[in-house]
Amino acid sequence: MPQHQGARLVLSQGQAAAILLLPFLTIYAVFLVYPFFKGVWISLHDWNLMAVAFNPDAKAYVGLSNYERVMWGSNITWGAWASPAFQFIGLAGAVASAWLYRTGRAGKVTALAMGGAALLLFVLPGFHPGEGGRWYDRRFWPTVGNTILFVGLAVPGVTITAMLLAAALDGETRAKAVLRTLFFLSQVLSVTVVTLIWQIMFSPRQGLIANLTQLFGGSPIVWLTAEGFAMASIVIATIWWSLGIAMILFLAGIQDISKDLYEAGALDNATGAKAFWYITLPNLKRTITLVVVLQIILHFQVFGQSHLMTNGGPNDTTQVLVRYIYQTAFRDSELGRASAMAVFLFVIMGGFSILQFVLGREKDQ
Amino acid sequence: MNRSYYWLIFGLSVPAFIWLVPTVWMVSLSFQPNELLARTTSSTALGLIPIPFTPDNYIALFRFGQVPMWFLNSLIVSVGMTLAVLAVSTTAGYALARLEFPLKTPIIILCLMGLMVPEQAVFIPLYTMFADWGWHNSHHALIMPRVAVPIGVFLMLQFFKAIPKDIEEAARIDGVGWLQIFWYVMLPLARPAMMTLAILTFLYAWNDYLWPLVSAQQREYFTITLGLASIQANFAQAEGLGRVMASGVVASLPVVVLFLIFQRYVVRAMTAGGTKG
Repeated sequence: MPQHQGARLVLSQGQAAAILLLPFLTIYAVFLVYPFFKGVWISLHDWNLMAVAFNPDAKAYVGLSNYERVMWGSNITWGAWASPAFQFIGLAGAVASAWLYRTGRAGKVTALAMGGAALLLFVLPGFHPGEGGRWYDRRFWPTVGNTILFVGLAVPGVTITAMLLAAALDGETRAKAVLRTLFFLSQVLSVTVVTLIWQIMFSPRQGLIANLTQLFGGSPIVWLTAEGFAMASIVIATIWWSLGIAMILFLAGIQDISKDLYEAGALDNATGAKAFWYITLPNLKRTITLVVVLQIILHFQVFGQSHLMTNGGPNDTTQVLVRYIYQTAFRDSELGRASAMAVFLFVIMGGFSILQFVLGREKDQ
Repeated sequence: MNRSYYWLIFGLSVPAFIWLVPTVWMVSLSFQPNELLARTTSSTALGLIPIPFTPDNYIALFRFGQVPMWFLNSLIVSVGMTLAVLAVSTTAGYALARLEFPLKTPIIILCLMGLMVPEQAVFIPLYTMFADWGWHNSHHALIMPRVAVPIGVFLMLQFFKAIPKDIEEAARIDGVGWLQIFWYVMLPLARPAMMTLAILTFLYAWNDYLWPLVSAQQREYFTITLGLASIQANFAQAEGLGRVMASGVVASLPVVVLFLIFQRYVVRAMTAGGTKG
């Protein structure tokens, strides 16, 4: 109710809140909520980008068949040894998380999440086409596999390097501050600058790495176009690029550890590497989990490194999920199928976001 | 300071130097003549020192080609997005943190759910929407999808929640309206949080690649990040390696300068963006 108080119009709390929230909520609804549901809606249609652009009625409702065409095939069966590498890691991970929980080395949420993810890694790669069967889309699951492989290499790489650096660079001296700045600097560059630098670093003819190997009498490696090296190249560039945030999070975690612990440790002769192993590491558990989950979310959405450095090649070995979505939508014009994959991506990312949220909440308590 | 400390710093300088080599190399190559680079990229100290030295690549960059225009586009988009994000995040964050009104909890939950939706999950429907509206190839097409971001609202919400209640109550007793309190009392207090959010948004806008790639098809509307991607595919032949590297340096300059000046805010912004969104 507006009340006249003197000459001024005074708004009630509700009215003030409505005025203040209106701009945000309008834009939020139009540019995030609505597109999200429209994306799901597109995924239920046979929707060709070009055809619909010319004639808005040129789309047909097809139910879930886009999902089937992307993720399923004919005569699909399941076997415990269909994809031994992934499935073994999955099984080992499930056992490891149960053991970590039993021995009290990991919290309930962490153990459940790890175990769940590991079990999925055991179950999902087990599906394969049986006799005379085939995937409807031969490239989708290998692409998901590449994405997981990329995450599986980049995340431990970033986490371990960042943790060691943070432990070494914690402190108030000027030299350490300068070193921290140097290691953080590459984090603010854009993905296109990073790929520009590393494309030429890895170039067999002009690259710095090739020049170095030739200096020592070796022959240059064709990093970006050789199977086996291409994935390693984009992982190296990614670690170089995204070390900063992880390092800062670890520094914050290390500063939360009580100094008394280190003083007590020093009395027992635990300094340097020993102090890191027995004091820093056990007290960083929560930070490690947080950094890992964060990096998984970040790197699962990898696009630029693959798109610009290797073009998904050679032989699709660095093709990743977001790039496949992009190509299906804007090169093949298959918006329906691309949207089905985008929904798949959302489900995975949403799961990790919830996990991240729960972990963040746990920390506050 | 004891001996082991100096050994530690010395030992870490080596990896730090290696870490810096790619960036130094880019800068160094950008100052070397293209004719030389066509033959070798390792003339002095593996090419890490720009001898022979020439500023020609930068002069050519600003005289011909589209890099200055892309740079301007990036500035317009990044500054525009930053101002818009600040406007909607401070208002909404204040309302959700300090005012009582019906539907508050559902709105907060709706925002929280928005944190789960990655850009990559909505870029296709956004593309079709903007195509229907004829929005593509414009600055607002690059700005609007990232204006109402939950992370901004939560950053401000948390900040406003931490301000003691009595500041507001004193003003209320004097009969000051809510909007005036927001404008004259709360906003001046919120400067550090706004700074953090501004830097987070600016960095995101400057470095974003996927959405400009989808939305801006005409080269006149490229951002520098997107433009750089378009010239690196055929870097050696078309314009010369030195000039491409100079473009990379120009594209990085604003974010690096921003980082070096506001290091503490940048670090805070990136960790806030990282841990919460």
